[in-house]
Amino acid sequence: MEELKNIWKNNGPEFQPKDEGEIALMLKGRSMSIIDKLKRNVWLELIFTVAVTIVLLIYATTLETGALKWTSISLLLLFIAYSFYYVKKLMLLNRFSGVNENIRDNIAMLVENLTDYVKFYKRSYAILYPIYFCLGILFGALERGTGEYIEYLSRPRNLFYLLAMALLFFFISTWLASWYLKKLYGTHLDKLKDLLNELK
Amino acid sequence: MKSNSIPVIFFPYLRLIQCKERHAPLVIAEEKKFISLINDHQGLIHKICILYENDPEIRNDLFQEIVLQLWKSFSSFRGEAKITTWMYRIALNTAISRFRKQTRLVKTEDLRELHLNISDSGGDDPEENFQKLQWAILQLSEIERAMIMMALEEIPYEEIAETVGITQNNVRVRMNRIREKLKKLMCP
Repeated sequence: MEELKNIWKNNGPEFQPKDEGEIALMLKGRSMSIIDKLKRNVWLELIFTVAVTIVLLIYATTLETGALKWTSISLLLLFIAYSFYYVKKLMLLNRFSGVNENIRDNIAMLVENLTDYVKFYKRSYAILYPIYFCLGILFGALERGTGEYIEYLSRPRNLFYLLAMALLFFFISTWLASWYLKKLYGTHLDKLKDLLNELK
Repeated sequence: MKSNSIPVIFFPYLRLIQCKERHAPLVIAEEKKFISLINDHQGLIHKICILYENDPEIRNDLFQEIVLQLWKSFSSFRGEAKITTWMYRIALNTAISRFRKQTRLVKTEDLRELHLNISDSGGDDPEENFQKLQWAILQLSEIERAMIMMALEEIPYEEIAETVGITQNNVRVRMNRIREKLKKLMCP
C-alpha cells in the first residue's frame, strides 16, 4: 500500500489548473445531473402547457357554441390535467436532496426517486392513452352528429373494430412508453442498483 | 425604492428585490470564499475526474458538475466535518451517480487504449508506474475506485467509512480485497 501511495503522490496526474475566473464562470453553468436535467425538462413542458392552456382558454371564449368550442374545451381540460401531472412530477423530483449524504444513502435515494418517477410516468400514460382514445371518439361524435355516430358504433362490426383498435392502441402505446423509459433511464437505473447491491 | 406610483400588487416583488439587494454583498463574499476554496483544493477534484472519466472533454464537464454541486451545498456546510471530507463526499457522489449515455462502450474503448500505451516491462519510470496504477484503478468498480482513492490520499478508515456509508470493518475487508485486485492487475 505504501508503494502505491508513493506512486500516487509523487507522480500525480498533470492537469491544467483552473483560474478563479474560470471557476466563477462554472458557477453560472447548468447542472448536468440527472435530477436537474429532468427538472429542467419538466419545467419547460409545464410552461408550454400553461401557455397553450391560456391561449386555448382565450380562443374558446371567443367561439360560439358548436363542435369547435367543445373540442377546444375538452383539449383545455386535458391541458389542465397535464399541468397537475407536471407539478406532481416536479414534486417527485424535488424530494431528492442526495449529494450531501454518504455514497450509499445518495445512491439509495437516487434509485428510489428515479424508480418512483418512472412508475408515475408509466401509470400516467396508462391513464392518459385511454383518455386520448375517448376524446377521439367524442370528436368523431361531434363531427358526425351524436345520433348518427351512436347508430354507426352500435353496428357489431364497427363495435368490434373499435374495441380491437382500442386494445391495439393501448398495448402499443404502453409498450412504447415502457421502451422509451427503459432506453432513457433503464441503463442508468441498472447501474445505480448494481452499485447499491455492491454496498449491501 | 417604494414609490406611490407603483401599484400595491407589486409590493411583494419590490420587497423581494430589496431583500436581494441587501443580501447581494453577502452572496458575493460567499462566492469569493467558495472560489478561493476550490482554487486551493482543485487537485482533489481533478484526481476524481481522472479516475472517473477518460475522455478529456467529458472530464472537464465532470469537473464543472462537481464544482456546481459543491456550490449548491456550500451554504449547508457548517464546518462540522473537515472541508476535504465534505468535498470528497459531494465530488464522489457526483462522479458516481452521473448520467452517461453509452457508458460501457466508451469505458471499454478508452481502457483498451490506455492499456496498450503501457509497456509490459516492470518499469522504474515513475510516469509509467502511475499510468499502470491509473489503469488498474480504472478496472475496479466505481465504489472501489472511491475507496482506493481516499486511501491513497491517506484519509483515515473512519472517514472513508463515513463517506461511503459502510462500517470501518467493512472498509478494512474491502480494502484488502482491493489491494489484492490491484496487485494482480499491476503484477500479473
